Formats: sequence, C-alpha cells, structure tokens
Amino acid sequence: MRRSSWKAIASVLSQELVTTAALLLGVSLVVFLILYLAPGDPFAALLGGRNLSGAERDAAFDALGIPRTWYGQYLAWVGHVLQGDFGISMRSGQPVARELFSSGMNTLFLTVGSLIVTLGVAVPIAAYAAVQPASLRARAGILLVYLVSALPTFWLGYMLIYFFTRKLGLFPILSGSDETQEYSWLFALLPVVLLGLGNGALSEIVRYLREEISRVMSEEYVRTARAKGASVWRHAYKEALLLPVSQIIAAKMPFVLGGAIIVEQVFNWPGLGRIAWQAAQDRDYPVIMAITLLAALVVRLGSFMHRAVYVAVNPRASQQ
Amino acid sequence: MKTNFQQDVDTVSEYSQLSAWQSASIGDRVSVGYGLCVVLVVVLSYILGAFGWLPHDPDAMDLETMMAGPFTNGYLLGTDFMGRDILTRLILGIQAYFLPGVLAVIIALGLGSLLGVLAGYWRSRFETSVTYFSNLIDSLPRMVLMLLVIAAFRPNIYTIMVVFGITTAPTIAMLVKGKVMMLRERNFIESAVALGLSSRVIIFKHILWYNCRALLLIQATIGMAEAVLIETSLSYLGFGVQEPTPSWGNMVQAGANYLMQGDFWPSTAPAIAIMLTVLGFHLLGDGLNNIFEGRRNR
Amino acid sequence: MSKIRTKVFLMLVAMFSVSIGCSATLADTEAAGKKGLSYGEYGRPTTLDPITSNDMISMRITELLFNGLVGINNKQQIVPELAESWEQSADGLQYTFHLRKDVKWHPKAGQEAQPFTADDVIFTYNIMMHPRTVTSLKVRYDFISEVKKLDQNTVRFTLKRPIMNALPKFTFKIIPEFGPSNAAFLGRDDPFVQNPIGTGPYRYKETTANGEVVLEANPDYFKGAPKISRFVAKPFADQNIMNQALMYGSIDMSVLVNPRNVPEIQGDKRLRLQSYSALSYQFFGYNTRNPLLADKRVRKAFTLAINRNEMLNSFFNNQGTVISGPFAPGSWAYNLDVKPLPFDAAEAEKLLVQAGFKKGSDGIMVKDGKRLVLTLKVPIAQESESVKRVVLAFKTYLRRVGAEINVEFLEWQSWKEAVFANHDFDIMFASWVFDDSADISSLFHSGEIGAWRNNFGGYSNPEIDSLLVEAKNTLDHEKRRTIYRKLHERLADESPYTYLWTLTNYAAYDRKVRAVQIHPYKFFSYADTWYIGEGGDDKGADAPAKATK
Repeated sequence: MRRSSWKAIASVLSQELVTTAALLLGVSLVVFLILYLAPGDPFAALLGGRNLSGAERDAAFDALGIPRTWYGQYLAWVGHVLQGDFGISMRSGQPVARELFSSGMNTLFLTVGSLIVTLGVAVPIAAYAAVQPASLRARAGILLVYLVSALPTFWLGYMLIYFFTRKLGLFPILSGSDETQEYSWLFALLPVVLLGLGNGALSEIVRYLREEISRVMSEEYVRTARAKGASVWRHAYKEALLLPVSQIIAAKMPFVLGGAIIVEQVFNWPGLGRIAWQAAQDRDYPVIMAITLLAALVVRLGSFMHRAVYVAVNPRASQQ
Repeated sequence: MKTNFQQDVDTVSEYSQLSAWQSASIGDRVSVGYGLCVVLVVVLSYILGAFGWLPHDPDAMDLETMMAGPFTNGYLLGTDFMGRDILTRLILGIQAYFLPGVLAVIIALGLGSLLGVLAGYWRSRFETSVTYFSNLIDSLPRMVLMLLVIAAFRPNIYTIMVVFGITTAPTIAMLVKGKVMMLRERNFIESAVALGLSSRVIIFKHILWYNCRALLLIQATIGMAEAVLIETSLSYLGFGVQEPTPSWGNMVQAGANYLMQGDFWPSTAPAIAIMLTVLGFHLLGDGLNNIFEGRRNR
Repeated sequence: MSKIRTKVFLMLVAMFSVSIGCSATLADTEAAGKKGLSYGEYGRPTTLDPITSNDMISMRITELLFNGLVGINNKQQIVPELAESWEQSADGLQYTFHLRKDVKWHPKAGQEAQPFTADDVIFTYNIMMHPRTVTSLKVRYDFISEVKKLDQNTVRFTLKRPIMNALPKFTFKIIPEFGPSNAAFLGRDDPFVQNPIGTGPYRYKETTANGEVVLEANPDYFKGAPKISRFVAKPFADQNIMNQALMYGSIDMSVLVNPRNVPEIQGDKRLRLQSYSALSYQFFGYNTRNPLLADKRVRKAFTLAINRNEMLNSFFNNQGTVISGPFAPGSWAYNLDVKPLPFDAAEAEKLLVQAGFKKGSDGIMVKDGKRLVLTLKVPIAQESESVKRVVLAFKTYLRRVGAEINVEFLEWQSWKEAVFANHDFDIMFASWVFDDSADISSLFHSGEIGAWRNNFGGYSNPEIDSLLVEAKNTLDHEKRRTIYRKLHERLADESPYTYLWTLTNYAAYDRKVRAVQIHPYKFFSYADTWYIGEGGDDKGADAPAKATK
C-alpha cells in the first residue's frame, strides 16, 4: 500500500475516534434516560426494599455515596466507566466487566463465524445473479435466500437441531463439561451457521451485493478489461467485492448482534445475548447498560473498519 | 440498505408510472403480483378477525384432537397443543401485527422523512445533527434496545413497535436525503424556488409526493415484514404477545415445544404463514423497487 | 465465476466431514474421563446461602453446601447431622443439642479451616430472625423464644409453647459466624450470599461467566468424603434444549423432567427415569374480598365446571393424582374419604343460578347487574408451558358455564406483589410445597390475612379458625389427624381454592450415576452417597416408575 493511503487511514481514524466518543456518550445518555424514566426504583434493592421519605432517601444516598440527581448519577457512572469500572451486577453481585468479558469473547466468536457463513453464501449467489441475472439458477438461488431469511430464526434452529443432531447424529448439541473444551469449535458449527443464515439480513445482503456487482460490471474500465481479455475480477474485486462487503459488515453488525440473542438462547451459547436476556428479566441495570454500550462500541468498530477500507481503496476520498 | 442513494432517478414530472409497469420484467411482475396477493390475504384476514367471522372459536379446546394434522375432523389446518383450531388462530393472529405494524411504519416513515428532508433541504443547518442522530440510533442494535425498553417498561407490542419505528427511521432518512440532494444537484429545487413555490409545496408535493412515494411505499412493505419477524423473535424470548391472544410468533413458540418429539405441524403451520407473508412483503418491495426506482439506467 | 463456486462447495464438504470424524471420538472421551456430575437447571440461582434464597434452584444447591442440626433420612426418620444427640425436656419446651466436635467449615482460599461451634448455631438463628434479613424462613421459627449456648458444643432452644413434631424444624441450615460481612442481618448484597461457606459434602468453587455453578467435593466432610468429585449446575434458558442436552449426554441429570418428555426418556436405554413425590399440589386460589367470589357456591361451581381428569390426562400424561382438599395425598393428613368433585358443568350452572346469577344474552352470568368477569393472575416461571395449558383450559371450561376469565401472565416479582401484598386479583394460580408437618393454619386462618401473609384470599370462617387452633394445640398425633380429616372435609366443601392435583415429579439421569436417592423437594439431601459407576448397570435405588397412560 502506498504511503499516502496510510496517511489517509490515519486521518479517518482520528475523525472516527471523535465521532465514536461523541456517539458513545449519546448512547449512554439515551440508555440512562430510558432506565431513569422506567417505573420502579432501581435503588430499591440497595435501600433494602424500604419506602423512604425524601429526606431519609437523600440521607441514605449520601451514606452510600450515590449522587442525588439523575445527572449526578449519570456523570458518576460515566466517570466510573472511563476508569474501566462498569459497576456491580445487581443479580450476582459480581463486577459487570468480569462477567461480560468471557461471554463477550463467546459472542465475538459467534458473530465473526456467522459473518463468514453469511458472506460464503451471499457472495457466490449475488455474483452469479449479477452476471447471469436472467438464468433460472440465479432466480432459484435468490428465492431460496429470501425463503431462509423469512423464517423465524429460533424455529430454524430447532429444525437444524432436530435433523442434524437427532436424525443424523452429526453435531453434539452443546458443550459438555469443561473436560471436552478442546472440541468447543465443533459445537459452534450449528449456531454459527444458524446465525449466518438466520440473522434476517441475508436477503438484503444478497440484494445489495448483486446490485453493486452488476453496477461495477457495467462500468467502463471493467468493460475495457473484458474486451482486452484480461481477468475481470482482478480489476474489479476491490470495488465490486471489497467495498460492498465491508459496507455490509458495517451496516449489518447490529442485526448480527441482535440475532445472536436468539441463537444463543437456542443453543444455550454462553454469550452476551443470554446475559442481556437475563438482565432484561431481572432489570439488572448495570449489566444492561454495559451491554448496550459494548454493542454500540462494536457497531462503531464495524463502521470504522468500513471507512478504513474505503479510504484504502480510494485515498482521495478522505481529502473531501 | 443505502443502495438507492447512488441510483439515479429521472426527472420528476415526465415520468409515467404506467410505462414503468409495462416495461417491467416478468420476474418483477410475478414478485409484485404475489406480494399484492399476500397483502390482500392479510387485509382480508384482518377484516375477518376484526368482525369475528372465524371458522371456529379461537379459544375452544378439543382435548381429544390435540396437535392434529391438516384436514382432521373438520379442522382445515389441524389443531395446536390445546386442540384449538390453527386456521382460526392464524387468521386472528394478524390482529396482533396489523395495527402495531402500521403504527411502526407510520413512525418510521414520518420521522424518517422529516429527518431526511431536514438534512437534505436545509443542509447547512441540520445535516450534522441529523447525521449524529442517525448514527446514534444505528449504533444501538435494535434487539438490544428492545430488550432494554422491555426491561425498563413492560413487554407490550405497541411499545416494541414504537422502538422498531424509531430504529428504522435513520435508514429512511438517508434515502430521502439522498433524493433531495439528487434533486438539488439537478438544480430542480433552485428552479422551483425561482418559480416562487413555497418550501412547503416543494417539500410535500414535489419532493415527498412526486419523488419519494415509491421509495416510502417500498420501505413500508419491508417494515411490515420486519414487524412480523420481530414479534416472533420476542415471543421466543417470552416478551411477545401473551397467550391466550394468538400471534403467529407465540404460536410458533408454543408449538416448537413439541417439535423435538416429532410433532412438527403446530409450529410449522404458523412458521410457513410467517415465511409466505414475509416473502410476499419483501418481493413486493423488491419488485416495486426494481420497477420504479432502479434498473432504469441500465 | 465457476472457480468461486467450486471453492465454496469444497469448503462445505470439508466442514461436514471434519464434524463427522470428531463427534465419534468426542463421545469416547466424554464417557471415559468424567467423574463429576453436571445437571441441568431451569435458570440461575438467585443466591447461594440457605437464608436469603427462596427458589428451588438455590435450594437444591444449598442442600449440597450446608447441614442442619438434624436431618431427615429417606424413611422420614430424624437422624443426627451437626448435632450428634439431643434431649427434650419433659414439658416439651426445651430442646438441647449436643454438637459434633469434628466438624470444620469449608476453608477459605489459603486459610485454615475453622471449627464449627455452638456460636454458629446461635448466630444463624439470630441473623435469620433479624427483621431486616431478607428471608421467607422467619415465620417458620417464631415458635422459638430463645437460644442459649451452654458450652462450646451444646445449645439449648426454648420454645414459646410446646409444639408437636418440633424436631423436623431443626433441619434449618447453619451458616458460619465469620461468613456474612454484616453480622447483624443478611441482605442480598452481602458477598456471602454469592460465596457461601458451609459444612456440607460439597464446597462452592465458582460461578462461571456462563452461569454454571461449580461445586467441589469436600474431602473433610464429617460423614466421609463424597464419591462424586464435583457437581456442576448448568442453567438452560430453553427447557426443550435442556432435554436434548440430557439425551445427547452433555448433562448427566435433569432434576425435573417436563411431562411431555417422559415417554421419550423412557425409551432411552442410557437414561433412568426416577419418580419422586413432592408434598405439593397445584390450585386456583380465590380472592374472597370480591363479593362475587365470597359465595362458596360460586367457588364450588368453578371446581365442578372444570374437568381435572381430562387436563391431567392430556397435559401431564396422567402423571399425578386429582385431589379433593388442602393436603398432598402423600401426607398423613389427607382424608381419602373425601372424593374429588366430579366434572359436572350442568351442576355448576345450577349452583351459579342458586347463587343468584342469570345467564345474560352474551352467555355471561349476571348477578345484580354485575357480570361474572374475573381476572386470573398467573406467574411466568421458567417451566411454565404446562401451567399455561392448565390456565387456558380453566378459562375455556369456565366460559362454558358463563364465567369470563381474563388471564394475565405476570413476571414472578410483580405477581407476588399483586397477589400477596396488594391483593389485586380475583383468582390466582400457584402451588404449595409442604414439609411433613402439613401445617395449613397460615393458609386459611383469619389471623393470617394481611400484606405478605399466606391467607392472600382473605378467607375467613370462624369454624375453620377454631378447628385450626384446636389442631395446633393438640400434641397427640391421632387426635390431630382426626381434626385434620375434619378440616379437609370442611375445606373441600368451602372451596377457598379449587384444588387441582399433585403431580408426580420425575428426575432423569445417566445410568452411570448410581445409588441415586432423591429427597421429595430438597432433592440432593442424599447426594453424598451417590457414585459414578463403571460399565454395566446396577439395579438402582429403586426401579424406575413406569409411566402409565
């Protein structure tokens, strides 16, 4: 890569860092306000379930070191987060950061794996449909993708378990005790495939890739290359594949994370999605705030990656 | 997806929609035709359900005939895990989506158009804040945000659909903004202003009605499809429409409890209904998109 | 183009062949190398100490971690645990326990194990009774007036009044004085409730990020080291998946099998199905504060209107017994002469008419311009799918006799508030689990009406009150039994509840787990003598009960 493109990426990085910081602040404020406006007292457990008068409550808050106003509480929370302290889970009494780390790794594995599956399915179908739009096979492929995307994810998951595990005996259903951890990648196949196919975004991804590829294919330089007998893909892959794929990953990250909640439930996958579900049931505020923030961070990372790819492919874009 | 952005759109007035339909490919016509059939069935079912014109009592149990397949004892589509008629509950299940889904779509289209016009028409004043807002919403995975709202308030289909509407708005805003900017590029807006048209007329009549209605219609169909899938996922997590009110989501969920024992039908029937409906909405949106928005510069 | 396609195809083939190759080896290693036992749970425990925990999941874990002064063996006899012997004073007011001297608490990491003494017993009693301690146990122990330490290994409990069968009450679990960080009372925020220290056969090791609770064998257990090296409680969000996990060997035991899975597990040679009868029953409870429900004829009509046998048969594969009164059929207090009311919708309608109702034009009964429309509040639990069926069936049956029931499913906490604190309900669905004292006075005595008391329906009847008091003051077992039989008969007629049934519970486990005996509701009481066998099959503790259709 040329030096100028590194420079361009660095400048995008700095821009993106500022945006990300501003967005995370906004996200945390929105989340905080939703929880603040919710009925019920998030401090009830802390105050021992007593109904306190205003003055008593203030005194109790002072004694516990909790700011009295909502913005005070918010700022205190932000301050703690900046020091890497996400608070204590109200359910388990464990530090939130510790709980989230290992499950975060599990979810990361699941989402990255599922993106590979998604692209492994979407790219060939989209490319074929772009090159041979009228062929029966292309239409069948697209229709199949649409059908799969239109099915309820968890039902599809049950069906996968029924046929692959029960009828064919192919996959162990989920990880056994710790002794068998070395095979854990194997248990991951079904959930990864399910999330890859069933995150609800597959049809959109195929459609988008198909349009992008066919647009690039009809461009002047590609046609020239084709006329000269040179490999079309070598000239066009950057614009027809790399850019749209990175765009897809950036745009669909939220869907994949959302789909992970369902898939983790179906396969008893110990990830963030299950923790989020449990926290939603228990109203475990520190946990749910941390998860939301983390999810937003991952989404921003995806968007940053796309910007970086974009600039690397087309360095002049950053000077705009 | 932000595809339409780069797509070119022809001028505003001379463009006839009839000719677009005539020049549409067979595939697109089939897609739109199927989609329209699905919409018709959905609307019809909604009316049947609303007036209570149903083949059976939706709550009537027949414990002798539980989990029966289609065409058993006068149950056209069989019975569920309580011996209730599946067809009746499928028809009535539409009620769970129809109004909430429409509400979500209205919120998404309204808020999306508003933001898009603001950012495109008064770029200097609003673009930064609209972009920030859109990015903010986009940064929150929809499902995570819904779990958050469910945790904070109660699981309620209308609350959930409001969240869905708001989270869909940025996508629509970007599409509308793209349209406005394209019109600006062609000096359309300047000429309109020069002709003495008020901003209100330009925005509502020329931008939104003439140029964005197809786009908004397409987004609306996709939105309805999404609403069904979202309720289904939330039903699985236990946060969807609660029994005994039927929804397709809670029907699949309840039926799936018996799936591992080989009783496929009670969950497969509503799952197929979901699949056909979502497919219909998507194909409709796609077909309309191809006919009115895309492929014309090819 | 074609190149890309071939590549993708090859990749998929590679994926599949690898997985087939590995799943075979996997099964072998699993079978060979495991000495621990992992069991599936319906969720995560809230707390791990015996005082603040109030859910069955926590209770099963604390059973492995802690001991009481006395225990109950599987023949329902009182046996020594932390106390090696005890005396009862002649007036029945004093119980003196002589504690074992060889018991040590589980050691904290890197520290010496501390001995168990009389101070721990007194500490446990005091912290349990402290008004700010969050516990459901307080009411059970308010018959004790004081606890005294006679010496390091002797404690004496003095009772407020003599009560029959007091010894089983001293099964409450003892916690160490040095355990909780707050010595006065125990709240859910105390670190101790997540890092318990006990005397039991298993020590708490950790809770993994996946929510698995890992317990390790306590080699210094005073009854001898347990044979299974560790217990792992695995939480499952989806019970269908839990059953699959059991059938495919990724857990060794399921503590409660869903009725719909019973036939399937019976057909699996690798698994054993073991029934354990809980002293429990399910019921619909009525709020007699509602004038429509204050009339016993209405409540009785509701019981007549529902077909309990049909529900038991259709929803639970007939795995249970329909009951007629407020005791579990396995209990000594149950009166077998009282037969459950039959299903008779016509009779039900007749009773409603007698009570002054008339059928309106829409089929709903009306009395004095008031329509018979009632709200049924039901808690959503993890294993609630069969509950859902019962509740919806109840609604349908009652619709046929002209009562409209609006079902509301609430999460556990809000349900408890609605029913027990605010009494904001007409009908509720729940189940009671009893110990063997079969004490029902807290359920129906008018003195128990009030926020967070067990007489949530506000049921008040002087005749029942006096019978309950009479039973409580009788120390003679036979006399008390006679009174309870009378109570059963009266409460069957009064119908403050619609009594449904006692369900047979089933645990399922891998046949390699041997000598399994299960406590009716504490479950793991005898787990220190379970072991994991090698090859072959033993006869088991008792033959698996056949599910009969």
